[in-house]
Amino acid sequence: MSDPPIDVQLIGVRKTFGSVVAVDDVRLDIPRGTIFSLLGPSGCGKTTTLRLIAGFEQPDSGEVHIRGERVTAVPPYRRNFSMVFQSYALFPHLDVADNVAFGLRMRRVARNDRVRAVNDALELVKLTALADRYPRQLSGGQQQRVALARAIVVKPAVLLLDEPLGALDKMLREEMQIELRSLQQRLGITAVFVTHDQEEALTLSDCVAVMRNGVIEQMGAPREIYDRPRTQFVAGFLGASNFIDGIVVDRDGASAIVETAGGRVPVRTDSRVGERVRIAVRPERLRMVAQGGDGLPARIRDIVYRGPVTHFYLDSAAGALLSYQQNAGAHEWAVGTQVHCAWDIDSAVALEGEPS
Amino acid sequence: MAALFFIAPVLYLFWVSLHQPSQSELFGAALTLQNYASVLGDSFYLSIIRRTLGVAAVILAISLFIGYPVAYFVALLPPRKRMIAMLMLLFPLMVSNVVRAYGWVALLGRRGVVNSSLSGIGLIDAPLDLLYTTQAVVVGLMTILLPYMVISIANSLAALDRRYEEAAQSLGAGPVRTFLHVTLPLSTPGVASGTLLVLLLTLSAYVTITLLGGPRSKLLVSMIYDSVTAFQWPHAAALAFVLLVIALLLTALILALLRPGRVLGTGR
Amino acid sequence: MSAIKLIGPALRGTATVIAFALIIVPILIVVVAAFSPNEYFEFPPPGFSARWFVEFFRLANMRSAFALSVELALLAATLSTILGTLGALYLARRRGIVASAIQSVFLAPLVFPTIILGVALLLIYKTIGMPVFTGLLLAHCIVAMPYGFRSVLASAQSLDPSLEEAGQSLGAGPLRTLYLVTLPLIWPGVLAGWLFAFIVSFGELNTALFLTGPGMTTLPIEIFSYLQFQGSQLVIAAASSLQIALIVILVTVIERIVGIGRIIRSR
Repeated sequence: MSDPPIDVQLIGVRKTFGSVVAVDDVRLDIPRGTIFSLLGPSGCGKTTTLRLIAGFEQPDSGEVHIRGERVTAVPPYRRNFSMVFQSYALFPHLDVADNVAFGLRMRRVARNDRVRAVNDALELVKLTALADRYPRQLSGGQQQRVALARAIVVKPAVLLLDEPLGALDKMLREEMQIELRSLQQRLGITAVFVTHDQEEALTLSDCVAVMRNGVIEQMGAPREIYDRPRTQFVAGFLGASNFIDGIVVDRDGASAIVETAGGRVPVRTDSRVGERVRIAVRPERLRMVAQGGDGLPARIRDIVYRGPVTHFYLDSAAGALLSYQQNAGAHEWAVGTQVHCAWDIDSAVALEGEPS
Repeated sequence: MAALFFIAPVLYLFWVSLHQPSQSELFGAALTLQNYASVLGDSFYLSIIRRTLGVAAVILAISLFIGYPVAYFVALLPPRKRMIAMLMLLFPLMVSNVVRAYGWVALLGRRGVVNSSLSGIGLIDAPLDLLYTTQAVVVGLMTILLPYMVISIANSLAALDRRYEEAAQSLGAGPVRTFLHVTLPLSTPGVASGTLLVLLLTLSAYVTITLLGGPRSKLLVSMIYDSVTAFQWPHAAALAFVLLVIALLLTALILALLRPGRVLGTGR
Repeated sequence: MSAIKLIGPALRGTATVIAFALIIVPILIVVVAAFSPNEYFEFPPPGFSARWFVEFFRLANMRSAFALSVELALLAATLSTILGTLGALYLARRRGIVASAIQSVFLAPLVFPTIILGVALLLIYKTIGMPVFTGLLLAHCIVAMPYGFRSVLASAQSLDPSLEEAGQSLGAGPLRTLYLVTLPLIWPGVLAGWLFAFIVSFGELNTALFLTGPGMTTLPIEIFSYLQFQGSQLVIAAASSLQIALIVILVTVIERIVGIGRIIRSR
């Protein structure tokens, strides 16, 4: 099976605004038909990167390619893309049908084909009945769908989305996430979207790039970057995480034994004996066992009931620990109980970079 | 392009003011500061300047005194009524100054409304000479410029977040103290822009000053006009420049006193 | 305690009534005077007559002053609105020192002492031999420019910037974006700006005072001359009332087309 062609490529792209480096030597290859997300806190450069692909910003250095064509110097209105804006940017003076038809008019599509394409697009987003309404007469969710229809009707090489679901309430957002994904898969469009919501990125994407300070810290499939974060920032940004410091005291093949303040734990790492290492373990992988087992001894400091799970805050010699337990009707723990915290060796990662 | 039409003429004006007067040309060949010396050294001109400053000060004081409460009233109106009030203030500003001055002539003249009413009621026997006095200039000009002051301050007050006042009250400040320590300082930008506008328009309100003040109550701007009609270009240019400098100095003074930059967040 | 609460609003209300009276009454008096039946203005007016309006249209110099004012206003409004629109569109999305400086230049005629501008222009005109009409037109354009500019700027700035980007993302180049997206959405601001520029130009006096020539006088200046030299005054009451009526009509038109809110905000 051959790899799908690369639709969007950024090579060595760098962009500064005055003295601020917004995007620093970024390299991206986005295969056709995938949903790619740029995730990170505000100011990390994700929106700038998106706008560089669109052409609304020009890079100081580096190249932008769309479908193999070098578009770095090409203005936005001649690039093969379309965009869903955070504010939807529906033209207030045009009705829904004319909004959706705008891109087709620019491409001089014949009237009959245009009308048919618009109807098809509106059917896809289930808004056929509202074709002659004006944007101000629509709800937020409906406007969002019109923006989507307008962007996909032109069959772009790449669809860009700038925090498309940010303005919707939680339930609507989750609904739209599923619709967005199924729409993209049906049409096979390459999509790049920007978000600061890690849940959204994990839900929607085939590949996630976590950005910080203009740099991509880690890029990969959602499961991979969640389970195997490479840096402390990525670990912390994608969800809660435990961090345990220690020194490698022994090696056994691919794994090592690390001496922490609370005891010895195994972890897979290349670090050599004597090197410092920081271990990250997700709270849902941190098991609590009664005294007398393996693992780090700890004392339950606080218990917070959260519906489907309960959060346990523990104190150990190796620092504060967090454990999520499913409320499946099992053990009843109490504050002050002494326990042992353990995890599978596959559930932990050794982070890169100097433990700070 | 716009700069060309605007800045260039003013620079040329300055250039002219530095020349000797001439009978046949616009201005003579020799450069001189004589024009400025004759203005600033002559007690007649100095008294005119003093009178101009005095009139400006009085007009500013009164328009602030009346304008602020009115602006407060307008700012507190519900949005729809506030818009209508603003429109009613904007409308007089669009009517040419000469028409508004004429209105005051009709009010204050010997056969005017005031005199007719007063003698009709029997309060006076002979018509009062209300027109062609400095006082008439002050009253007429003040009412012509009042809408500028009210609109500036009202915009500033209306844009004030109510919560500042609520915060002050939650900390124990009564209505008077809230006004003095919170509302008033935060309305400084509006007060500053209103004051500057009224000041600058007062200095150049030739038509009103002439119609209401007559030959005995001339101000600096009247001198400029007289020089021009007498074809004394360098002299007129010098007078114009003195007026400009006065305007700039007073502007700087007002900005320094009120320091609107504090509120606007531009520092200073 | 409650007395203080009542005094504040009472004082403000009183001040407001006095202020509005002082501002509006002189204008009303002029309109009342225009309908006087007699030679001189009397109060209370003894009757009601339109003779002074007839007289206004009978006098050749009045008619030509009126015509000149209208002509100048139409041209000045159009020119300054076009320039102001270009400037506003250019400045709408830009920040920084240069942009601020350009904006200040556009708005400067609002505060710059008009007499000084008039003298300066007069000197230049005399030096280069500028024809009277062009000189007057130029002065009127300068004076009216800020109004056209400010109105369009307010409209352009309130436009969502991503609308223009959306146009571009769908394939519309800069020119097509301008007339398919930007202009259809800011046209009320442009129209309001034009109307304001017209009104201002029509009433312009101070700057143009020196710039008129024989046979070429604008209506406000003609009114001023009459007042200064004590000519038959009531015909100018009629002239003034016509100007007031024109303004009322235009403001009503603006209000119908763009709404009160926009007028206030663009000021």
